[in-house]
Amino acid sequence: MPKVFFATDLHGSEMCWRKFLNAAKFYDADVLICGGDMTGKAIVPVVEENGGFTAVLAGEQQAVTADGVADVEAVIRRKGYYPLRMSVERLHELDQDAGKRAETFQQVMLDGVERWMSMAAEKLRGSGIRLFVCPGNDDEMEVDDVIRKAEMVELGEGRVVEIDGYSMISTGWSNHTPWNTHREETEEKLAERIEAMASLVGDPSRAIFNLHCPPYKSGLDEAPAIDADLKLLHGGRALRAVGSTAVRDAINKYQPLLSLHGHIHESKGAVKLGKTLSINPGSSYEEGVLMGAIVQLDAKKGIKSYQLVSG
Amino acid sequence: MADATMGSAPRPGLFLRNATGLVKAWSTFDAFVYSFWSVNLITLGLYGMSFVYSVPDGQLLIAILLFGVLTTFLVITYAMLVAVMPRTGGDYAWQSRVLGGGLGFVLSITGWWFTLFLWAPIYANILVVQFFSPLAYTLGWTSVATFFTSQTGIFVSCLIVLAFVAVVVTVGMEAYAKIQKICFWIGLIGLAVVCVLLLFNSQSDFQNAFNREATSLFGASGNSYQATIDAATKGGFPGSDFGHVSFGPILLLLPWLAFYLLWPNWGATLYGEVRGAKDIRKPFWSMFWGLWVTIGMVALVLILMVKTFGWNFYQAANAAYWNTIYVPGSPAPPVGIWPYPVMFAGWLVDNHLFQALLIVVMGLWFFGWAGTLFLSSTRVIFAAAFDRVLPAWAANISAKRRVPYGSLVLMIVPSIVVSAVYAYKPNFTSVFLDATAVLALTFFATVVAAIILPWRRKDLYDASPIARYKVAGIPAITVVGVITGAFLLFMLYEWSFNSADLYGTTFSSTPNSVYYFLATYIVAIVIYVVARVVRGRQGIDLRRIHHEIPVE
Repeated sequence: MPKVFFATDLHGSEMCWRKFLNAAKFYDADVLICGGDMTGKAIVPVVEENGGFTAVLAGEQQAVTADGVADVEAVIRRKGYYPLRMSVERLHELDQDAGKRAETFQQVMLDGVERWMSMAAEKLRGSGIRLFVCPGNDDEMEVDDVIRKAEMVELGEGRVVEIDGYSMISTGWSNHTPWNTHREETEEKLAERIEAMASLVGDPSRAIFNLHCPPYKSGLDEAPAIDADLKLLHGGRALRAVGSTAVRDAINKYQPLLSLHGHIHESKGAVKLGKTLSINPGSSYEEGVLMGAIVQLDAKKGIKSYQLVSG
Repeated sequence: MADATMGSAPRPGLFLRNATGLVKAWSTFDAFVYSFWSVNLITLGLYGMSFVYSVPDGQLLIAILLFGVLTTFLVITYAMLVAVMPRTGGDYAWQSRVLGGGLGFVLSITGWWFTLFLWAPIYANILVVQFFSPLAYTLGWTSVATFFTSQTGIFVSCLIVLAFVAVVVTVGMEAYAKIQKICFWIGLIGLAVVCVLLLFNSQSDFQNAFNREATSLFGASGNSYQATIDAATKGGFPGSDFGHVSFGPILLLLPWLAFYLLWPNWGATLYGEVRGAKDIRKPFWSMFWGLWVTIGMVALVLILMVKTFGWNFYQAANAAYWNTIYVPGSPAPPVGIWPYPVMFAGWLVDNHLFQALLIVVMGLWFFGWAGTLFLSSTRVIFAAAFDRVLPAWAANISAKRRVPYGSLVLMIVPSIVVSAVYAYKPNFTSVFLDATAVLALTFFATVVAAIILPWRRKDLYDASPIARYKVAGIPAITVVGVITGAFLLFMLYEWSFNSADLYGTTFSSTPNSVYYFLATYIVAIVIYVVARVVRGRQGIDLRRIHHEIPVE
């Protein structure tokens, strides 16, 4: 029976992606599932000037020589940011022009995903390990095409896939967030989206619901409360349930064997929702720590064991 | 879409796009309020300082300032750890990831779970001496006041505290944070009233007021002010001069001050839930100001108390009160309840309704703070359950109200048992005195983790914003960790081996404490070993929880 390793919300951290690809061997897993939000949130300009480069790291401007710039870029990538070499003129152009910034963002994100897909092909070719990726609400729609073309990676979004006798449905869409990201919709539409896949699953007791957004009020969806200005309230101590009622309803209705979620990095946990084991492994991508879940499926028990790990 | 720029440089150092979770940092003031409550000047502070009569030569003001300086190193250490690993679990997460899962579990669970049972009766005792008892006496409800000093009364107080804490955990931090802010501002107004009363009344005014209320509320006669000093003297108190400065006794005061000043980092187990914690400045300043604003207020209140009560009287009142409990045959003072400075200040106004109101208002210092007693414990229990060391149900929450009933049961049930022991078995009191020491030991383990972090978890350290801070080439976290560690070790030594048993906690004089705490560590080890075996049979290797996956 397959042993699944699930991680999510890597947000451009190349170190986490490398660890993710190595996790199959490290944890002896047969199936790797990346739950979405692969792309990074920020570009760090590496500005070429005076024969060297400057970049702002952790709020401080650092100057490096041409020899040292690769190391600086590696540090930036590790945090999940995209280093981008540019001239001073290009920096000012991007600062002034929102359209050009958006174009640049898309380009670096797609380049990044493409690079990750190549790494996956190189690492997993001939290994027999299956790798599923389902972009999340923070990933632009064009990411799907890059994954679809990838050699060793299977796109999860909107499909029912078979994994050694288990059916997995996936979506990276979420309910609305204050950030108005790329794959957000109303609870009603999200419910329809999930229903369209879930209704095709023959046996829910052998089903995996890989839904990026966690179920509402499950304990896997507690995010720090923020005000309308996106400012954290009460010193970040006040938490609010921000998960999806559509996801919760789908789990309640179908009671799949396993549901896998992400989206809320701070809300790591594993809970039973009726017969369903629901997991959000959390995310610490900025530290380069890969938080994940190992789930050993079993023909008789359904789930033989599970473990949340920080690798 | 890139829609924001930031960075310290005049030109953009970072382009951000719209993405989930990109929030603006929490207000330092909000976090400061939490830290401020943790080193609660009135509730913990006045209670803790009522024991310093045991070091009559100790200059309290200097000791408080020294403690503040040394605790600042603790604050820096914790702020740096938050910056490196901003995760839920705090001490547990840091110790597990740096020292190893087993050691981290045993040390932090003992401190944040088993020892917190002991704090329920401590809180209850404070509730009695600072709220129920003075309020009841002031209102003339002598039988109520007497009830709360009885064994059953103390047990009932424990149950009230536990019920209050359970309600706070149930309603959640968002609702309680609002209550805390109300308590904060009204409590500050109450404190300002106390300070004004102390400032504008002389020592003779106070002596007259004290003698008047001792007669009115407690049926004493004559010069009760002098009789209080005499009772203390007969009990062996040699007298105390606020102006006397001697270095050795100042150091001996530090372990007493730990009772309330060692906790500005209390919320560190919670900082992991917010992304803003990645910024070292926020957690540092919130803890720093929580500590130092309290120290400033303590200094002010202390000086006013010296001026108006008289230092020797205040120390004598404390000595006389505690002697009646701990020294058999000691004469009872004319005012037979705990010398609550707020109550004394209220006596400067000859109106019982005003006095009662002042006690109620100042009671908000308790109710705005006590609710968080088990908050950090529940987080640590959650973290251990997610690591599969504890059963999954320990992290269960109810579907409807999101009550963490698993962890609440694990906290409340043992606390009720411990409270009953505290109320009905007086010879176990020393165990409760050790509650501070065991938490300090937990902090010490975290500090050790901080000291070795740059070498044990080089990857995490190098990638963190603190990697650039060095002192003479040595990582700053190591340097501040060593200073903090030395400070904590000094206090742990004094608690355990002080030749005069000043703190009532030495190993030789309190075998019950030694047995109790040894038992808690053994239970923690047993839980971990059993978990390893049971999980191993289930195909789960607990050792791999924190093993880093190779990058290449």
